[in-house]
Amino acid sequence: MRAIELKKLSYTYSKKTPFEKRALDNVDLAIEEGEFVGLIGATGSGKSTLIQHLNGLVKVQEGEVVVAGMSASDKKSLKQLRFTVGMVFQYPEYQLFEETVARDVAFGPKNMKLEKDEIDRRVRRALEVVGLPYDEFAERSPFELSGGEKRRAAIAGVIAMEPKILVLDEPVAGLDPVGRREVLALVRKLHEEVSPTVIMVSHYMDDIAEMADRIVALKEGRVVADGSPQEVFGEREKLAQAGLALPSAARIADKLTERGIELPRTIVTPAALADALAEIKAKRAANEPAAQDGEREDGENV
Amino acid sequence: MPQIELNNASYSYRVGEGQTVRALRGVSFSVEKGEFVALTGMNGSGKSTLAKLLNGLFTPSAGDVLIEGINTRDEERTFDIRRKAGMVFQNPDNQMVATVIEDDVAFGPENVGIPREEIVERVDWALEAVGMSEFRKRSASKLSGGQKQRVAIAGVLAMKPDIIIFDESTSMLDPEGRAEIMEVAKKLNATGITVISITHNMDEAAQADRIIVLRKGRLVLDGTPKEVFASPEVEACGLALPPATELARMLTERGFAFSETVTDEDGLVEGICAQLN
Repeated sequence: MRAIELKKLSYTYSKKTPFEKRALDNVDLAIEEGEFVGLIGATGSGKSTLIQHLNGLVKVQEGEVVVAGMSASDKKSLKQLRFTVGMVFQYPEYQLFEETVARDVAFGPKNMKLEKDEIDRRVRRALEVVGLPYDEFAERSPFELSGGEKRRAAIAGVIAMEPKILVLDEPVAGLDPVGRREVLALVRKLHEEVSPTVIMVSHYMDDIAEMADRIVALKEGRVVADGSPQEVFGEREKLAQAGLALPSAARIADKLTERGIELPRTIVTPAALADALAEIKAKRAANEPAAQDGEREDGENV
Repeated sequence: MPQIELNNASYSYRVGEGQTVRALRGVSFSVEKGEFVALTGMNGSGKSTLAKLLNGLFTPSAGDVLIEGINTRDEERTFDIRRKAGMVFQNPDNQMVATVIEDDVAFGPENVGIPREEIVERVDWALEAVGMSEFRKRSASKLSGGQKQRVAIAGVLAMKPDIIIFDESTSMLDPEGRAEIMEVAKKLNATGITVISITHNMDEAAQADRIIVLRKGRLVLDGTPKEVFASPEVEACGLALPPATELARMLTERGFAFSETVTDEDGLVEGICAQLN
């Protein structure tokens, strides 16, 4: 089933003023249910404007946005749209506001006018899923949690609405290495257990290469690449034109290729690079006697 | 005399009734003029507290912090310490005080009553040093995050500091912005300014001359990037390895052998070439 469809979507900020800026330009994009899409692009490429269309935070100006069969232009379905698309913004912990973690997480489900039992069930489940056991965290103030815990509590507030589609904008920005690892593992788990369709915006190409099934790259409001990580990062020239970096494994593979160790451009993760290099090493070890024969032949030919 | 000296410095603060957080516990180290030091550790390890001790925003609960021999407890010298040790903060949007960029950079020197001609000279020099001269008459609001941080650095530079402390100044920037700030930091360091960079980014830490790692308020590692990333303690401190170091580890599991600890991509490439070519 189709989760999201954007048809010829364009958006201009500050129309008819000297500051007019076209943030999206004729974007066509279809995302199927179950996909994990990495959305990449330089700052100002239109990523934020695009995701804000998905739950009606910005009004559709030109084109069409259809999410789970609902048109984002239809005011009547706006509420339902907000419950279908869960948004985790940058630094979501700044949006914690209630006195206890449980009340903060319950805010979304309450807005959905669910029964009390159902709200409780969802709050418990969301806290368990993000790794903040209910009995330990429910009654604590969100403001006394650590940085990583705060972020997970904020994410719990979004997933308590059990959205079919989860959109995360730079979910690991500003976290320390442990916090990063935890939140990335959590995103993977949410994709499997809560929200089948995930869109993750990130500047960290290493994370995108590891996590996404599909990458969509934006430049100046247009889709300039769309495909598997291997396909998108494989197109080095296009990527450079869009002002985007490579994952470190691909960058190292290029440096090695320059030095005569030829590696395919489809290598985007450290594991793939390590395996490819181990294979080359094994081959060279097996060919060593043969290589010596070759040298001898060359010698005779001279 | 070292430029920065911490002798058994501790810092505690109270939260609520009777609860005390011991953010730093007996930390001692010294930094010589011109060093590039990365200060790292998990959230809550005491990094930012330490940064605030270095420019006298906090005074230690016990022990001493000396900047060029001046004790940060000496309130009459607080102003001298702040001028010697400038600080660039995390959020690029919170550091601008004026709307026009050159006014923003001039704010510090104006406040301390430096003559007009010299302010103009300093602003020119500082904006040039961070590569923002062409933007001087523009409004700060239209800049990218990296450009805003460069203006913030120019504002610190206009005070002619001997030490610049970057308190997670790249953490809110995109990769391009991060690279810009690292480049500026290295360039300033090459002119003799001491750089203390507080960071979670292991790639950035690996570019420093020296890495100091804090854990639960204590100094646990202090050495070159090679020494620190070779230490088994690194992961216990909640840190990751730089991607190149991690890859070298994965290759070692697959039969490769590196003669020295890999801390950056070029070192990794050399190490692999030596084994395959």
